[in-house]
Amino acid sequence: MQYCGDFRTTYEKDVKIFQTPFIKICMGFLGVALLALPFLIKGEYLWIALQILIAVIGAVGLNILTGFTGQISLGQGAFLGVGAYTSAYLTAKMGLSFWVGIPAAGLVTAMAGMVFGVPSLRLKGLYLAIATLASQFILEWVFVRWEPVTGGSYGIVVPRPMIGGYSFESDRSYYYIVLAFTVVMTLFATNLIRTKTGRAFMAVRDHYISAEIMGISLYKYRLLSFGISSFYAGVAGALFGHALKFVSSEQFNIGVSIVYLAMIIIGGLGSIIGSVFGAIFMILLPKILSVVTETVAADIPSLAKLAISFEQGIFGLIIVLFLIFEPDGLAHRWRLIKAYWKLYPFSY
Amino acid sequence: MKQTMRVFAMVAAMALCLFGAAYSAETIKVGHLADLTGPTGEVGKPYAQGVQDYKDWVNTQGGINGKRIDMPMFDYAYDKNKAVNQYKKYLEDKVVAIQGWGSGDTEALSKTTGDDKIPYISASYSAHLTDPAKTPYNFFCAPDYTTALRAGLKYLKDNWKEKRAPKIVFIYPNVPYGIAPIKGGKEYAKELGFEVLGDENVDLKAIEANSQMLSVKNKGADFAWTGGTTNSTAVILKDAKKLGLTTKFFSNIWGADETTPKLAGGAEEGALVMAGSTVYGSNVPGMKLLMEVTRYPGPPVTHYIRGYVSMMVLTEALKIADKKGQLNGPGVKAALETLKDLDTGGLTPAKLTFTPTDHRPSMTVNIMEFQKGKLVLKQTIELPRKAEWLGL
Repeated sequence: MQYCGDFRTTYEKDVKIFQTPFIKICMGFLGVALLALPFLIKGEYLWIALQILIAVIGAVGLNILTGFTGQISLGQGAFLGVGAYTSAYLTAKMGLSFWVGIPAAGLVTAMAGMVFGVPSLRLKGLYLAIATLASQFILEWVFVRWEPVTGGSYGIVVPRPMIGGYSFESDRSYYYIVLAFTVVMTLFATNLIRTKTGRAFMAVRDHYISAEIMGISLYKYRLLSFGISSFYAGVAGALFGHALKFVSSEQFNIGVSIVYLAMIIIGGLGSIIGSVFGAIFMILLPKILSVVTETVAADIPSLAKLAISFEQGIFGLIIVLFLIFEPDGLAHRWRLIKAYWKLYPFSY
Repeated sequence: MKQTMRVFAMVAAMALCLFGAAYSAETIKVGHLADLTGPTGEVGKPYAQGVQDYKDWVNTQGGINGKRIDMPMFDYAYDKNKAVNQYKKYLEDKVVAIQGWGSGDTEALSKTTGDDKIPYISASYSAHLTDPAKTPYNFFCAPDYTTALRAGLKYLKDNWKEKRAPKIVFIYPNVPYGIAPIKGGKEYAKELGFEVLGDENVDLKAIEANSQMLSVKNKGADFAWTGGTTNSTAVILKDAKKLGLTTKFFSNIWGADETTPKLAGGAEEGALVMAGSTVYGSNVPGMKLLMEVTRYPGPPVTHYIRGYVSMMVLTEALKIADKKGQLNGPGVKAALETLKDLDTGGLTPAKLTFTPTDHRPSMTVNIMEFQKGKLVLKQTIELPRKAEWLGL
């Protein structure tokens, strides 16, 4: 969107991430707020904040694949699991450091993602969705059955990271590690979209035949997209494993894949900020709902029983309403809000 | 006079209701995670009710040495994320122990509860939770899954009359709960001289098990272990009857209960259940009180009794910890580990014992059989407390 007085004279200016000084100041405030957050909240809400940060990484990763490259994946949950198990195996069973475990988790998951992404060369749309669904089931089966590595039905107990003698045992200290990963990986994704690779992804999404005629190797970019997306999933999964200090097969089922898909659809396909909004929305919504139902139940005790059953229904209803009234996701709404305030009070 | 007394009593009762919470000297905070509305709600509800009923009874009796137990229930609907969120809230509230529920929440929190030093009493009876070297703060009050399976094997072998080796097949869902006891069970089966046939998988949500039952029939299994939940077991039993199997089925603690006859419609006749408690209305000393305090609509299922016992155990530990002035996580854990031969009034197959090196509550299992739609106690099997079985 362009407004009066807002014009660029070079390409560099056009692709800047932070377009105006005002936005830079806003981002500065956001940064301070994120740094101060663990001192403002504790216990349950701090834990939820941690989960949101982790989910942002996973959602950004999935959005690169589904939103930007147009390849539907129903295997994100299992890829989170691959990352979690890789890091768990390296840190808990081989005694390596967390700082080795996380990148290794990303790389191993990227490899796994590229292997399971091979069908994308032949399959599109729903067919690819089913193929990735198969990867979900295969990986889940591996998690339960490959006992020497995954601990089978017992799972693996994972330590929190250490630097020197300092252990990031508390949720508060661990939050900062996760925050650093989230910020770096979100910025990387934002930059990726502006590069040749990013534009190739979008070309593949928009019209793959045209893209191929233009000289874009579908083989390379589809697999690359799967790889990058799975790298994100792997890191997110590993961070989650270390947060909970326990990794088991039940944490990475098909439900997780669906939730991640919902995150990027609600947040906005093909939008990094949308992935962030989607992650916040999907993690926070159940909590908000249970707070609301609890309050209602406290005032009207006869509703107490029904309230929790309603919760699931309302959760679904909100998602359906969202898709009807905001099909472009929260990112679109965000743009509208920005546009409104930019010209306030003289919007036309 | 009578009138005045009644008015006085009413006023007193109202005052108690209104100010009871505010005026009682102190409260002991305990967490309670339950599944009432989730996928395991069918069995989670009676269990949770048992926990709450016993707690309420303790509170009417003056609580723990005069301190009320404050234990509101939280329905997490078997959503692990919700369970962990609520756990973090309990940490903030400084609870001294938590009454938990299934594998989902218990396993996910096993490391965290250990680090935070919060005793966690679950209804997930996975054997690996019994080794304090690995999960020092996990407790439960029924024989673990593998012990139950071993007891069943022993019972079957003891009653085996033929000369040839009995053939056994293990039927279980491909989830951690189902897989957990299989390894230990198979080893013991071989030790006892069973011929172990190839496994069959029946999903927890299965609506039919024809192919699996056909395979069991073709293999000619004499016995079959069913390690699922009531629904999957009922499906197995029904399809087995339909195909005319003569195999004798024996089921895990969560695999069959008083609702099974309704679900299986008669196909359950003769099937065995490895129960960790007695049944409602049985002639044991502890049953009288239970029947008085229960607020469960209708006669409660066995799971209710285990919930009730699990709160009984925690209550005893809280009393000990309170006397020592150590009403905190480590104090309650230490108190639990001093419980020796705790008499549950016959509600459990044996008296319960916890030690700092062994969290197996007992090695005794009630073998029950379905006879004309009722659960009948066949035999109580006691296994030796072998050190090498700990955690397996």
